[in-house]
Amino acid sequence: MLTIQNLYAQYGAITVLKNCSLHVDEGEIVTLIGANGAGKTTLLSTISGLIRPSKGNILFKGKDIVGLSPSKIVSCGITQVPEGREIFGPFTVRENLEIGAYLRHRKERDKTGIKRDMDYVFALFPRLKERMNQPAGLLSGGEQQMLAIARAFMGRPRLLLLDEPSLGLAPMLVNIILDTIKELNKEGLTILLVEQNARKALNVAHRGYVLETGRIVLHGASAELREDPEVKRAYLGKDYKDISERGQ
Amino acid sequence: MKDIDNIQLELLQATVNRVYKRVPFYKRQMDELDITPDDIKTLDDIRKLPFTTRDAFSKNYPYDLFAVPLRDIVRIHSLRGIDGTPVVIGYTRQDVGHRVEISKRFLTSCNVTRDDIVQICLDTGMSIAAHELKEGAEAIGALVIPPDPISLNAQIRIMIDFKTTTLISTPSYASLMLSCLKRELSSAAAISLKRIIVVGEAIDTRIRARWMEEFSVDTRAGYGISEVMGQGMAYECEAMNGLHLASDYFIAEIIDPETNQPLGHGEEGELAVTTLTNRANPLIRFKTGDVTRIIRGECPCGNPHVRIAPIQKRVDDIISIRGVKLSARTISWFLNEQLGSAPKFCLSISKDDPIERLELKIAISSEFFSGSLPELHHWLHRLEDAFQEKIGIQCAIIPTEERAIEEFHNNQVICH
Repeated sequence: MLTIQNLYAQYGAITVLKNCSLHVDEGEIVTLIGANGAGKTTLLSTISGLIRPSKGNILFKGKDIVGLSPSKIVSCGITQVPEGREIFGPFTVRENLEIGAYLRHRKERDKTGIKRDMDYVFALFPRLKERMNQPAGLLSGGEQQMLAIARAFMGRPRLLLLDEPSLGLAPMLVNIILDTIKELNKEGLTILLVEQNARKALNVAHRGYVLETGRIVLHGASAELREDPEVKRAYLGKDYKDISERGQ
Repeated sequence: MKDIDNIQLELLQATVNRVYKRVPFYKRQMDELDITPDDIKTLDDIRKLPFTTRDAFSKNYPYDLFAVPLRDIVRIHSLRGIDGTPVVIGYTRQDVGHRVEISKRFLTSCNVTRDDIVQICLDTGMSIAAHELKEGAEAIGALVIPPDPISLNAQIRIMIDFKTTTLISTPSYASLMLSCLKRELSSAAAISLKRIIVVGEAIDTRIRARWMEEFSVDTRAGYGISEVMGQGMAYECEAMNGLHLASDYFIAEIIDPETNQPLGHGEEGELAVTTLTNRANPLIRFKTGDVTRIIRGECPCGNPHVRIAPIQKRVDDIISIRGVKLSARTISWFLNEQLGSAPKFCLSISKDDPIERLELKIAISSEFFSGSLPELHHWLHRLEDAFQEKIGIQCAIIPTEERAIEEFHNNQVICH
């Protein structure tokens, strides 16, 4: 579904992504793992058109989307849920969801579909239903994250780019969010997930890529990466029970 | 771009990123050619990368080719290099898993199931292959009889009594077993053997036809190099028209061994391989020394992985006897190690049916022969035992006059 070839991106003189190639197949959850500053968010923002790559191709369903505006990329079926949620605080929960479905209003006038999806996200996140007429700015951090994901889903994207959905959330809420990601994937949504909590990300994803200073250094099935000593040391927290210190 | 090409490119880029950063040997090689990981943008760009030869293992002995810290290594195999220098192969837990997976896939393609009784008869020189095939068969759930240093008769007894359905061996040892079986049994129906899986050497189609005719057994061939990925790197399918490469684990190239230039599709040349999933010992453009060619066209079995022709020869003087690789350099090393100096020698290998026999003639001098025949016999026996232990195969050692060796085949390996 998404194929990225030899991608470079830079901020001014600093090259953040260097010769990155990766792919996401339809129906998959793929995660990007890496330390702070490795280039994970830059990669998502490059896909969604917020940053223009300096070199390389991004093919979505066979079509090169490099150079398209972010709104064009959204209408192609790619939606990003940014780090920090970026919900519209003064608007109610329902209004935020309606904004998420804006393109469907305008292009397809798919009122029945929108109503059905609204019911679906309220079933998925009962907390949002309880607060649907409240201003979104009054929601807790976890509820705002739920709203951000639900709002993205309302656009009926084919590919969802999720940037740090668990950031700043209590552990129980993190589990709820990640369970929801799995649920949305079962509904047929393809997901590219960037997550600080690498252990949890590898529990929900099918495959993963490890980014190190802008380069992809590992690629494999999640089960394999979870057991990888290098990944464990660098991203899953050092566990001396698992990692013996045989002499070097 | 086809899916497999896409995945190969992603894995190649990740491998090059890792080795450039973590293996000084590869960084030096790439720096010398003024290549960086950024130069690998397509699969064809692999041609920009430097080649790796078997010497790299001994020059970087023991751990300098590892791309992970030693604490991530869970298994180490030490092999004898062709010139006697040791070769170390390290595996991470993932590498072990991949090797089991590749052996399992090979055996599954040979129709081995959990209902089979798999007997592995391989010389000690092929102990890594034997071990990996055992793990692959166990992963399928088959009953496995691993190789034991027992006599041929004992192996045959096991085959009859335990009702072996699958024999894994070299073509020559399997030939020997079957010819003994034929003498021993009144009817081929008395054995339960369904298939023979041959590794270590190419199989002659006439032998394969004879086994089918006399014992109604299928034969499948596999290919593997312990330093790279082990048995299952390439394997025959039911179409038996070439061996499918496990292209999800490595990239294969056919090159001109002299110029190192890539050869066209279908041309015969040296096989060079680049690993895609190896974590401990990634190899970049490893020159295998094996000669083959890519077989054009799709396989009727539907397997999308490209096929290579069976390996019939090598680019160097290395020969494979029951899976054990040796050359004149190996013999020089062995004699030097055992005797402190290498007398003139001639190793002859008789390819008489059913099994090859090795005969090493060494020039005898007063240094080794004191005049006492019993002592000489004792000395030769010890040398033969050492040959079996160090080289991994039996060999008769015959003292010869130096002149006789010089006249004919000075320090040569002769197959006849």
